[in-house]
Amino acid sequence: MELATKKIVLRYHWVFRIREGWGIFHQSLLGKIGLVLLLLFALMALCSYIPPRLDPMYDPMTGVDPKISHSTGPSMRHWLGTDFMGRDILSQLLAGARIAFMVGVSAAFMSIFLGTAIGMIAGYVGRIMDTLLMRLADMIMVMPTLLVVLILSSLFGQLNIWTIVLIIALFRWPGVSRVIRSQTLSLKQRPFIEAARVAGASHLRIIFRHIMPNVLPLSFLYMTFRVTSAIIIEAALAFLGFGDPGTVSWGMMLQWVWKTGHMFKAPYWLLPPGICISLITLSFYMLGRAMDEVLDPRLRREQEAG
Amino acid sequence: MAEGRHNPLLELRDIRKTYRTRRSLFGSGGREVVALNSVSLEIYHGEIFGLVGESGSGKTTVGRLIVRLEDPEQGSIRLEGVEVTKLRGKALRDFRRKVQMIFQDPYQSLNPQLSVFDTVSEPLTVHRIGNSSQREEQVRKALTAAGLSPPEDYVFRYPHQLSGGQRQRVAIARAMVLKPSFIVADEPTSMLDASISAQIFNILIEMREKLDATLLFITHSLAAARYLCDRIAVIYKGNLMEIGSADEIIQNPIHPYTRALLDALPRFGDCGEMKYYGTLLGREREYVEPSACPFFPRCRPADETKCSRDKPLLKEIFPSHFVACFEPDLKQAEGSGGDTCFYGT
Ligand SMILES: Nc1ncnc2c1ncn2[C@@H]1O[C@H](COP(=O)(O)OP(=O)(O)O)[C@@H](O)[C@H]1O
Ligand SMILES: [Mg+2]
Repeated sequence: MELATKKIVLRYHWVFRIREGWGIFHQSLLGKIGLVLLLLFALMALCSYIPPRLDPMYDPMTGVDPKISHSTGPSMRHWLGTDFMGRDILSQLLAGARIAFMVGVSAAFMSIFLGTAIGMIAGYVGRIMDTLLMRLADMIMVMPTLLVVLILSSLFGQLNIWTIVLIIALFRWPGVSRVIRSQTLSLKQRPFIEAARVAGASHLRIIFRHIMPNVLPLSFLYMTFRVTSAIIIEAALAFLGFGDPGTVSWGMMLQWVWKTGHMFKAPYWLLPPGICISLITLSFYMLGRAMDEVLDPRLRREQEAG
Repeated sequence: MAEGRHNPLLELRDIRKTYRTRRSLFGSGGREVVALNSVSLEIYHGEIFGLVGESGSGKTTVGRLIVRLEDPEQGSIRLEGVEVTKLRGKALRDFRRKVQMIFQDPYQSLNPQLSVFDTVSEPLTVHRIGNSSQREEQVRKALTAAGLSPPEDYVFRYPHQLSGGQRQRVAIARAMVLKPSFIVADEPTSMLDASISAQIFNILIEMREKLDATLLFITHSLAAARYLCDRIAVIYKGNLMEIGSADEIIQNPIHPYTRALLDALPRFGDCGEMKYYGTLLGREREYVEPSACPFFPRCRPADETKCSRDKPLLKEIFPSHFVACFEPDLKQAEGSGGDTCFYGT
């Protein structure tokens, strides 16, 4: 029983589980479509570094085509056309993919982290702690995140993109924490937790060693849905004019279309960011649905038996 | 095992435990369920003590109180003379080293995310016993003793890769690895096949010898208790009805409930004129005073006035044989019951 062997086998265990999960995931058409779309968006985000290197005029924020000072349709020089001051729309679209991933994933990650930690504590500690945390969750849950950010930005002026991410995270944990709490409550009753207590395990050990591994899959599932909502909130904020003026997000692009009165004149400018926002949120949602199936214990048990 | 009566290893004194059922949305309050009612027991060093009763009689509750998964409302539990119910901090941690439990359902008592090695080594890790190679050695020994050999074949497996019997062996190895002095085994075979049950029983017997441990063996079957135990206590609705040596309880049962349990067992072999007591009432009595003997509603030989009014206390009817009955019928049932007749589980 060499320890080295042990590590290898344990790693093999994860490979095995992922492969098993992939087997279920693979059968889901939704999941596959979602994954392909996401890969495309990831590719877009990666490609966003290319145009500014080709020519400074392709910089999504500051690059202005010296020959153009108004919005033009698609051409060889600007495949998707230019915006009101002659900036390349394709470059902006690619940069927007990067921002969407950044905003979506980091806000989702933070809110999932908070929600999981708070849910586990509320569920495990129970009593007054549970009541306090869940009342707090209720209070935050009934506040519309978008409205809160709007109020904050009208109070403090334009918000930085990271501040927006942080606010989204701070207002988006209650849903996750409720789910994790109820999962923790049911886990807490399971005999293997009691067996750990009889073995002498401390509360911290029980939380991290026995409860966390059993709730993490659920947290990750929720993360995909949180990504969706973070992207939508950021886009809505930007469109309403409360975005970070220093970033080129799809919401910002839509706001520029709107503000400069090109809404009904320049479909080549309006449609790409609109379609991208819809598709990226849709694809994260589809991914989440497929993961839901992977994590469904009933399906898993059938797989084990078979 | 009757020797050394003076200081039991484990002593339960007048234990009472009630559960409050969860109140409904608009209900004013939960209903109280008395799981244990003034239970007193003494378990001596080195014995296997059987606790027998039908489901819902409070057996698991006794086990959970002993391992401090729960606290009684009233009464005291002493291990080696030390009060258990008040232990905290370091003293509680030392207690957890000495007392272990094997749970009823091996499908629920192992963490699905942990390998066999991680599960069995956890008690050692928690109590910081030995270095990693010593721990590996201990785990290996415990697994072998629990009948999982060679241990190398099992250490890296996960619960879903094990059969029910194998899982219960893992749970036994986890309970053994700390070399506890007291082990509660809560119906360890009720979820397993009969053939595997017999193997598990033998492992428990070996474990007692190897670890010099004392066992509380919880079961719903008097036959299993007889096979395994030195002494047996019969519990009904949270009340102890009869305590005695295993042979006494089987061959000379006094309490009508114990007799009813024996009647219900399947019999094998040459049973001749079978011995039946027929102490169970066909139709339960309704409208029973709350103060009545707990078995009164189902008891055929009951005294309608006395048994319906008071609850009998445990009395020593024969040496070391206690019965809680007002009108114990000391005569045994007729019937030769040949030598080769035995009860099955
Ligand atoms: N957590 C609990 N909440 C409410 N009632 C309980 C709880 N645990 C046990 N009980 C009740 O206590 C009684 C004894 O239960 P238990 O000790 O599990 O019996 P056994 O192990 O003999 O089947 C039963 O009536 C059961 O319904
Ligand atoms: Mg039970």
